[in-house]
Amino acid sequence: MVATHPAPPHVAAAPDHVARRHRTAWVLTAPALVLMIVILLAPVVIATALSFSNYSLGNSGFDWVGARNYEKLFTRSTYAKMFIATLTYVATVVPISVGLGLGAALLINTLGRFREVYKTIYFLPVMATLLAMAIAWEFMLHPSIGMINRTLEMGCGTVLERLWPFLSTGCADGFPVWLGDKRYAIWVICFIGIWQGFGFNMVLYLAGLTAVHRELYHAAEIDGAKSGWDRFRLVTWPALGPTTVFVVTISCIRAFQVFDTVEAFWPQGGGPNKSTYVMMFAIFEKGVQQNLIGIGSAITVLFLIFVMFLTLIQRWLVERKVHYG
Amino acid sequence: MKLTATATALALSATAVFAEDTVTIEFAYPYSHLFDVTYEAMMPAFKAAHPDIEVKFRATYESYEDGTNTILREAVSGNLPDVTMQGLNRQQILVDKGIAKSLEPFIAKEDAFEKEGYHQAMLSLSTFDGAVHGLPFSVSLPVGYYNMDILEAGGIDTLPTTWDEVIGACESMKANGIDNPVFWGWNITGNWFVQALMWSQDKAIVENGQVTLDSPEALAALEQMQEIFTKCEMKNLEWKAALASFSAGEIGMMFWSTSALGAVERSQGDFELVTGPFPGMGETPRGLPAGGNAAMLTSTSDDPKVQEAAWAWLKFITSGEGAAEVAKTTGYMPPNKAANEVILADFYDQNPNKQTAVDQLPLLRDWQAYPGDNGLAITQVIYDGIERIVTGDATDMKELQQEMVEEVADLLPNG
Repeated sequence: MVATHPAPPHVAAAPDHVARRHRTAWVLTAPALVLMIVILLAPVVIATALSFSNYSLGNSGFDWVGARNYEKLFTRSTYAKMFIATLTYVATVVPISVGLGLGAALLINTLGRFREVYKTIYFLPVMATLLAMAIAWEFMLHPSIGMINRTLEMGCGTVLERLWPFLSTGCADGFPVWLGDKRYAIWVICFIGIWQGFGFNMVLYLAGLTAVHRELYHAAEIDGAKSGWDRFRLVTWPALGPTTVFVVTISCIRAFQVFDTVEAFWPQGGGPNKSTYVMMFAIFEKGVQQNLIGIGSAITVLFLIFVMFLTLIQRWLVERKVHYG
Repeated sequence: MKLTATATALALSATAVFAEDTVTIEFAYPYSHLFDVTYEAMMPAFKAAHPDIEVKFRATYESYEDGTNTILREAVSGNLPDVTMQGLNRQQILVDKGIAKSLEPFIAKEDAFEKEGYHQAMLSLSTFDGAVHGLPFSVSLPVGYYNMDILEAGGIDTLPTTWDEVIGACESMKANGIDNPVFWGWNITGNWFVQALMWSQDKAIVENGQVTLDSPEALAALEQMQEIFTKCEMKNLEWKAALASFSAGEIGMMFWSTSALGAVERSQGDFELVTGPFPGMGETPRGLPAGGNAAMLTSTSDDPKVQEAAWAWLKFITSGEGAAEVAKTTGYMPPNKAANEVILADFYDQNPNKQTAVDQLPLLRDWQAYPGDNGLAITQVIYDGIERIVTGDATDMKELQQEMVEEVADLLPNG
């Protein structure tokens, strides 16, 4: 807007005044710029550089190994397991926790009384530290003295056993060793991720719902949207578009970052047969536990690329698709 | 008035003198669930003997691997503790990188070092390039823990001496309706149990900088493990969960380090617990790896007072009454002749379960570390391989051996 105005004459007449203002502007932004470079950009650059080396902590020097670390990431079966575990987790946790968050928000929004009570209950797991919760889960999932298998055992010999094949095989051959069984481990982690995360999405959706104008519902009703489903499909869901993009992106990034539960349950090895060897844990194991900074940095860079990619998609969607200003 | 002033001055100078004379040393150790009680028991005697030394405990290491890593990181960031306890298999790397100091100058100043009970066989566990770098603090060996109530219910009255007998015992227990006959500690730190099977056949897992996973002994070890896991239908329990289950009286036989004996006895349910020697592969084991940890001096202080204080602490915990506390509070053996034979003379008679490991002492061999920067990564590769046997993911042992050999070769310095 400013650029379309003709330049005021006194600006051209006093160039050193402009230069001084430029200088002041630079001086004023310098602290922020310096901090950004030192604490945000420089580590990324250093990590990228280290990912092309074989640096190991405690050594005095290192060699450049080119793309060998990256080559390992895409050829070794261990890292194939890492990608499978990470993507399984993201692909399970994101849709379900977003769906449950939206569902809970819609239900709570229709409530007159007890809204706050429900909100608090669903938000409780979000407030708790995941690491502490993981330890509690570990006790509950203990194969013989844990609460979960004890509860399942109570169903043995009842009518439930005939209705639910899982229970009858459990009663006959023993219940699953949840955390030690490669068929269940990743799903246990997913379950805990959803349980812990959907309350956060619910709060975001509740905030989004307050921004939906009442008039839109009235207008839709006049246009013939009679059922609740129609109202949701024609008004609520499109109006929640920007919220959904944000919620999905945040959930994705949080899902990529899953670490606490894996570290608490399997401090060594990343689960039975590496079935829960997620990226964050791999970074921790290589870079911190085994001191192999080179390969650890390579996984970190890859992780950054994933997250950056997600953020770019989000920006693109926000700018192109879901604006109803 | 004058009197008060003098008194105040005296009091002030007294505190000043006191503050000057107190030397603070920093110390860190692993496995708080095993050793917290040991250090608690030692402290009063140490304070009485050395009132001018204050020992500051740092946060405990979760495991030996964690301990080594913490020290490596602290060496880079320049805040090493004065004394650290390190796994016997992780001393080499700290010596190689020049972080652990040689103890020879201190030993030279002691006139009766031999008399304190440090004898050569034990010190050799911590001797590198002819110089003692650590004083072994606690030594453990693998043993069998047996829940006699379950064994009797399963119709077994003699303790197994070979793995075939263990499998036989599993089968008769299974037939008698016992779901959870065995836990075999494959997941113990540093591939200790794999090394136990290798040493049982008198084969070292590292020879001339090469990992001997390609040897016939290694294949025999893998096949032995597979036989135990599958025939006993062993559940893939995390080790803490397994110890909890055993203490609760739900597992018949547990093969684990003698070190956990103190912890297991403290949380033991209502059953008769007996330990027995580690079974062998067809015959009595010909060797077993020494587990445990040693005290190493990592002080970077130039102050001779701090150095002397660190040495005093090191010596106190590894000899005399200090060392005897190790046996009293844990299942470890103090690697100190004097402590074992004089102070603990009646102790083992009264605690026959702790005697089992002592009886196996002649079999003591090195707990080996893998060479190079990738040492910890190699430990992980072997761990992952064994886990695949436990979960039933790997069924062909020859194939698994080949895969492990290739992966390890890739991580060796000359690979």
